[in-house]
Amino acid sequence: MIPPRPAPVKAHGFRFWLRKNLFNGPFNSALTLVAAVVAAWSLYNLGNFIFVEGSWGQVWRNMRLFGVYRYPVEHLWRPLLALGMMLGLMGVMAGAAGRKSIVAGAFLPIQGFVAVVSAVAVIFWPSVRFLWPAALALGFIGYFVGRRWPRAVKYLSWGWGAWLVVGYLLLSGFTAGGALGRVPVRDWGGFLLTLILFTGIIPSFPIGIALALGRNSKLPAIKYFCIGFIEVVRGAPLIMWLFIASLLLPLILNVDANSLPAIMRAYVAITLFSAAYMAENVRGGLQAVPRGQGEAARALGLSAWQTTLLIVLPQALRAVIPAIVGQAIGLFKDTSLVFIVGLVDFFKVGDIVSVQPEALLVTGGVKLEVFLFIAVIYFFFAYRMSIASRQLEKRLGVGER
Amino acid sequence: MQPGKSSVSPSTAVVPFWRNVKIIGVIAQFVFVIALVAGIGILVNNVVTALAKANLPADFSFLGKPAGIPIAERAIPYQVTDTYARALVIGFLNTLKIAVVGVVLATVIGVFMGVMRLSSNWLVRTMASVYVEVLRNIPLAVQIVFWYSAVLLPFPPRISDPIALPGGLIMSNVGLAFPFLYPTYRFGVWVPYLIAAAVLACVAWWWRRRALAKADRVGSVWPFPVVTFLVVAGLGLGLSYLGRSVPSDLTFTFEADRGRGTTAFVVDGKSRPAAFVPVAIEIEKASLTVSSQNLVESRQDVRGSVRFPLMSEREADAFEFTFADAAAAEERGLQLSFDKYPSVATIYVDRNGNGKLDAGEDVDPATNRGYGGVDVVMTVTNFRRTLVSDRDGQVRTPTFKHIDEAAAAVEESAAPRAGTRFSAFGQAATATVSESALTAKTEIQPVGALVLSRAYVPVSNYEGGMRLTVNYLALLLALVVYTSSFIAEIVRGGILAVPKGQREAARAIGLSGVQTFSLIIFPQAMRIVLPPMISQYLNLTKNSSLASLAGYAELFVIASVVSNQTGAAIPIALLLIGAYLAISLAFSVVLNQVNARLALVER
Repeated sequence: MIPPRPAPVKAHGFRFWLRKNLFNGPFNSALTLVAAVVAAWSLYNLGNFIFVEGSWGQVWRNMRLFGVYRYPVEHLWRPLLALGMMLGLMGVMAGAAGRKSIVAGAFLPIQGFVAVVSAVAVIFWPSVRFLWPAALALGFIGYFVGRRWPRAVKYLSWGWGAWLVVGYLLLSGFTAGGALGRVPVRDWGGFLLTLILFTGIIPSFPIGIALALGRNSKLPAIKYFCIGFIEVVRGAPLIMWLFIASLLLPLILNVDANSLPAIMRAYVAITLFSAAYMAENVRGGLQAVPRGQGEAARALGLSAWQTTLLIVLPQALRAVIPAIVGQAIGLFKDTSLVFIVGLVDFFKVGDIVSVQPEALLVTGGVKLEVFLFIAVIYFFFAYRMSIASRQLEKRLGVGER
Repeated sequence: MQPGKSSVSPSTAVVPFWRNVKIIGVIAQFVFVIALVAGIGILVNNVVTALAKANLPADFSFLGKPAGIPIAERAIPYQVTDTYARALVIGFLNTLKIAVVGVVLATVIGVFMGVMRLSSNWLVRTMASVYVEVLRNIPLAVQIVFWYSAVLLPFPPRISDPIALPGGLIMSNVGLAFPFLYPTYRFGVWVPYLIAAAVLACVAWWWRRRALAKADRVGSVWPFPVVTFLVVAGLGLGLSYLGRSVPSDLTFTFEADRGRGTTAFVVDGKSRPAAFVPVAIEIEKASLTVSSQNLVESRQDVRGSVRFPLMSEREADAFEFTFADAAAAEERGLQLSFDKYPSVATIYVDRNGNGKLDAGEDVDPATNRGYGGVDVVMTVTNFRRTLVSDRDGQVRTPTFKHIDEAAAAVEESAAPRAGTRFSAFGQAATATVSESALTAKTEIQPVGALVLSRAYVPVSNYEGGMRLTVNYLALLLALVVYTSSFIAEIVRGGILAVPKGQREAARAIGLSGVQTFSLIIFPQAMRIVLPPMISQYLNLTKNSSLASLAGYAELFVIASVVSNQTGAAIPIALLLIGAYLAISLAFSVVLNQVNARLALVER
């Protein structure tokens, strides 16, 4: 006779989950208790600060500074139109890739963010009451265009290129008079400037690819030039390059220091810095493409250029998309370093806002509030990008052994 | 020549030079180099003409000129009159100082967090994930400013009321100070022992290796040289304490009423500062007047506090506290309640008569503020303290007054004196005490090769020990926390990359969970983890260039100041690039070494 066995332990439900994940053994139970105390303490303090102690009026009153800094109110439609165009282009990409795609997964939260800002604008900010919803709408129009005509994606690289030019013209204006009055570049700032500097990753693409190809070249002069450029640029921190660019670029180009605005100098530094890192990423991709691919292309009679551009590069770039997204996150965070050349980006606005006379009236200052707000906004975008990067990695099978 | 003749034997056909890949390559390079040289030439020409036009220096001669930059934080002696070159060297050393400490701490925290992320405990795992995700997605610049100006600068314990922790650690909004060992003037006694220790350690290492090889045995080599070194060096250190005496030319001059003293070697009438000399100071009876201040304790609480310099009860036989204007204090009913004896007290009026401070009694109903601006006199009997002079031979004590003069000052202060201001630590602005008769017994203590210098707060800043400024701490904290979030991800990836069979095999041969992790998984993970980790170390070092956000004087900060002062942008740029490339190169040498070692272990 087999003795009756005890009933099996319930293997589902909340209590089972608790036992499995939090209290499986004395050590883990103790750990849970300690961690729970730490977590509760942190959450309590954070919540207490956010909802009770913090005085958020200073942040709320200065939303325009955070957004565009000194960009004139009557011209605000211009950056917002540029934003709308950007959302539209992203929308086309997302729409063409499909609703469940990673691109859409990144695009829709951004649209969500814009929708929240739009709602706030409609209620509280009369000067941009209709502009924010319009930018939002452009994003959705792009999305539906992408869904309806997925082939539009083919022309997207032209679209981004054109957007850079049109966006610049739109923001700066042409002449002092006229409908599109000139807005001096030094008035650009806030999150607008952060985004502008972030677009430095677009021109860094072709430069980086050229550097990577040059580094793999058989011609020693070109090869060693590219190696030298990449290693020297990567060897020193971006903040130093920004500083050097701001001092030396006018000298090197032999132009008047005033005719080369700080934004341009920072943009050049950021683009070249990003290009050096991009080159290393692309080189990794080039190494991952099997040799046979290039040899087969040559055997089919493709020229060296055709082989590189049509066969090797596309495969190489696909392999390093996650790394490039990772680099984009890094660049997005690094744009905060432009304070060193006197630019007022989103991060630097925090300094200005927290020393305004109204801010000094608050006992203890508002630095904590201001920089918490800034950190949250940076986190939202960077984290969203890092999720996309992780999904891409999973989908492309990188890092799975 | 007949057409097609060449096609008969294509292998010997002459390719026209414009289609010869080799020649095209050479030509392309030639053109590229010419274009490059021409381009660089034009740019250099531009720079040279621009520099000449603006009359800016283009060579390194400015390095020898006096810098005039005050640098608070330095590893080697420096004065404002020293050269630019020395200022830059201090900046470089400061970069190393933050990088080395940062790398160690970031590794410890990063490994800890990486392991936590893989914990089987849901709560711990989630908390570690939040830590990593939040910190690595916020720009470092924001984090530095956050720690510096939003957290550490408004840190509640002000320097006037520092927290003294066990072990001699002192914390306040100015920074952190703790006891530290410094080499003294007798360090030379120890040096031969140190050299002998190093030599003997090498011998022990060599001997042990040979013995192992001879016996054909596997065993650890490292304990032998390490123990040898420690024994010999320890012996030398111990001997340096034997037969010690105070050199006859070592002097200590002390102005008790100004609270300042200097240790110096006096040779032929000339004095030279003597660093790190311990001196015992005893003051028989003296007093100290401090004015109470309304301090903002938190966002709501305002109260009148008296803060005497940080002292402990053991440092004097007796402390006595009186109001400078006793009659007025009596009339107002002022009382003292000690938060921290004998250094911090709150002034209150005992309205409900229960003899202790209750809520609200520290606020004056008339003004709705604390009782600020009231003078309190502390009288100490037999105050004694042993101090170690600093690198410049300086010591500082609280600025005491002779007890009689304090009485005189009290009398005088009874009469209203317009415009008399009191600083935080009661250097009472009375003209009568300028010539003080306050005397102190001082005695230079004999010392060995090393001396333990304790940190203390004589007036309004730290002295002695090792001081870490709040700037350094903020930058360190931000760098460590930021980098640790990346290291945690690397460690997690490395542990996950160890094949599952390793863990199972380890458990199967009976190793415990901890043993499996520390002996099987972790060593193998380290192999995968080290190369990306070293590149994170390099990132940390490069990121320390954001120091200006925390007001810490590292290489880039000093270089930009020098550049602004002298206009020598080009030489400074070259120096900076050279310095950072040297650091990068050093890291890649280490990386290659590590890679080579790991590759050896692998086979």
